[in-house]
Amino acid sequence: MTKRKLVIALAGNANVGKSVIFNHLTGLHQHIGNWPGKTVERAEGTLHFKGYTIDIIDLPGIYSLSTYSLEELVSRRYIAVERPDAVINVLDASVLERNLFFTLQLIELETPMVIALNQMDMANRKGIQIDKEQLEKHLGVPVIPIVAIKGVGIFQLLEKAIEIIEEGYVVKHAQVRYGGEVEERIGKLAKMVENIKLSYPPRYMAIKLLEGDEEIEREVSGIDPQIISTAKNLADEIEGLHGHSCSTVVTSERYEIAGRIVREAQKLVSPIKPTLEERLHNFTTHKILGYPIMAFSLLFMFYSIFTFGDFTSKLLSNFFYGWKLMFESLFGIGIVSRLVWGGIVEGIMSGVTIALPYIVPFYIILYFLEDSGYLSRIAFLMDNAMHKIGLHGKAFIPLMLGYGCNVPACLGCRIMETQRERLLAAFVTTLVPCAARTVIILGLVGKFLGVQWALMLYIIDLLVIFALGRLAFRVLPGESTALIMEMNDYRWPHLKTVLQQTWFRLAEFIKIAFPLIIVGSFALKLAEVSGLLEPMAAIISPVTVIWLGLPAIAGITLIFGILRKELALIILATLLGTTNFAQVLTPVQMIVFTLVAMFYIPCIATIAALAREFGWRKALFITVFEVIFAIFIGGIAFRILSF
Amino acid sequence: MERRSREGSEVPLTALRDGETGILTSIKAGHERGHGRGWGFEKRLMDMGLTPGARVTVMKSAPFHGPLEILVRGSRLALGRGMAERIFVETEKE
Repeated sequence: MTKRKLVIALAGNANVGKSVIFNHLTGLHQHIGNWPGKTVERAEGTLHFKGYTIDIIDLPGIYSLSTYSLEELVSRRYIAVERPDAVINVLDASVLERNLFFTLQLIELETPMVIALNQMDMANRKGIQIDKEQLEKHLGVPVIPIVAIKGVGIFQLLEKAIEIIEEGYVVKHAQVRYGGEVEERIGKLAKMVENIKLSYPPRYMAIKLLEGDEEIEREVSGIDPQIISTAKNLADEIEGLHGHSCSTVVTSERYEIAGRIVREAQKLVSPIKPTLEERLHNFTTHKILGYPIMAFSLLFMFYSIFTFGDFTSKLLSNFFYGWKLMFESLFGIGIVSRLVWGGIVEGIMSGVTIALPYIVPFYIILYFLEDSGYLSRIAFLMDNAMHKIGLHGKAFIPLMLGYGCNVPACLGCRIMETQRERLLAAFVTTLVPCAARTVIILGLVGKFLGVQWALMLYIIDLLVIFALGRLAFRVLPGESTALIMEMNDYRWPHLKTVLQQTWFRLAEFIKIAFPLIIVGSFALKLAEVSGLLEPMAAIISPVTVIWLGLPAIAGITLIFGILRKELALIILATLLGTTNFAQVLTPVQMIVFTLVAMFYIPCIATIAALAREFGWRKALFITVFEVIFAIFIGGIAFRILSF
Repeated sequence: MERRSREGSEVPLTALRDGETGILTSIKAGHERGHGRGWGFEKRLMDMGLTPGARVTVMKSAPFHGPLEILVRGSRLALGRGMAERIFVETEKE
């Protein structure tokens, strides 16, 4: 028997449990990349089933197949042009109508598909009962009820998908029928586009042309521009009849169809009392209570991460330094050995002692909160505050990520809808003190001047984020967009999916940051060994000594802080010859040093992440701006404090 | 309250009190630039179920002119206030 290769795509709204199904299906055989040329994540995995090698593609969570966002565009092209053998459309049973709106579009695309009706248990608890047979009858698509989080129904789902592929694809979906006057015009247009050889079905093209879909218009106009003008006329006729734009009419009617199916297939039995999820939602978004709950949760989260991080980080570095003597006894203490140890080994070490103790728990907690649904509540509560800097509530999420590490935070800005907002969010995110900068703040100011001074620096940081964010919002052209976000019901997160997500983000961090950290440490060691440090300190001394009032040698740490910020304090200790900074630095110097370290561009890995997302020009601009800004602030602080 | 919604009249979503329901009549896009950004967001709202004729219930609004929590077609959405001000509804008769 020959092994056939199949491709099955998972498609559906956001938060319907697609990634959980993806994890069940593919286990550890998966990898995450980008769609070619797009900053949209592409998750792919393989599995073997009944003699088939099956490629599973997890498409981004979307609400429609229009071209509103990159995610929608990528998904539609994939389904229509690359034509996977089957699509598993995952639905959230408790929000059936909205989910079916998407399903209807898949049906219009004549996609061979199976429906995975997920979260049936939760729907039942909310008093929603769904008649699977009715749903199948109205859609003409097989429906498999599943409880993804428990793995119930996954096997049957896969079997069904294989079955429809084996049977060979015959269009037998129920047709999505619009109102008479719309149908008439769809028919006319469909005839016109019948002979156009595009990957979309004629009826689908006709509907999209009426809706004014730019992508389809572009493709069709290349072949027959006459059709576009006809479509425009027909659309105007519909607008005349209905008093709404044709696209509005089509969307409304599609929702009407979804609504009709729901009324046939769904029964509402009102629950006796509000569910636990409901009550939790009311508490966490409460007008007054919501804020202290949020503040407490976040403080608790940061406190536990940094306590854990500090402890583990020390443990790990003790463990690593334990090997130093052995290394030296093996390779001596010559220049090469010093370069290898100090450059490469210590580079890897510092990466590990930041990544494992801080970034990993940070991600685990964050994904836990995201999966449970709490992050969207935080975005809801913070929307107002974020609007002051021209962003909406969702931007609070990458901002929070920034406290762990700026690299993933920059990549996390993809959750914003427009390129402008992604850039704005990324910019403010780089001003957030990451774990490495927190080490400096707490280790220098916190330890020697007291926690209240460290806290003050955090408050100054927030003020600066606010001020600069507002400035950038004014300077960058374009209008700000509003928050439109689903707050799905609270649910218990799926641990394996959370860990998997964490692992992918960690891998991403290792890929971007590790090479640069190692190169950075190597360059630092090289400069040290070749005696270049002193001359370099002398060159920048006008800035460090005269403007900032710092010891000349401190300039070195700031230069190398670009390479590895978490090392700034260690380098400072090495250069000053003591870890008791109180002996060598005045309180003012400590604050100035920390301020500068806090604001100038996080590190080379963050610059690389910015460049990856926004191009080198913008990355360099942000870098130069932040360096100048940090020096400026440092100098001002020096003058105010020594006054 | 000054902006009390009267029965059967067209008011922005923000004029509804917590728990009140209205039937969506229209979305006024921010900028009359055809298929510009404003249009994109109107499309997005409709894709999320906010189409003319849809029943929209305001569950609550965040303090200090924050976003609204609404219920539409069985799903719970958070909606920025600026957006909500452009969504017009007809309040239901008793």
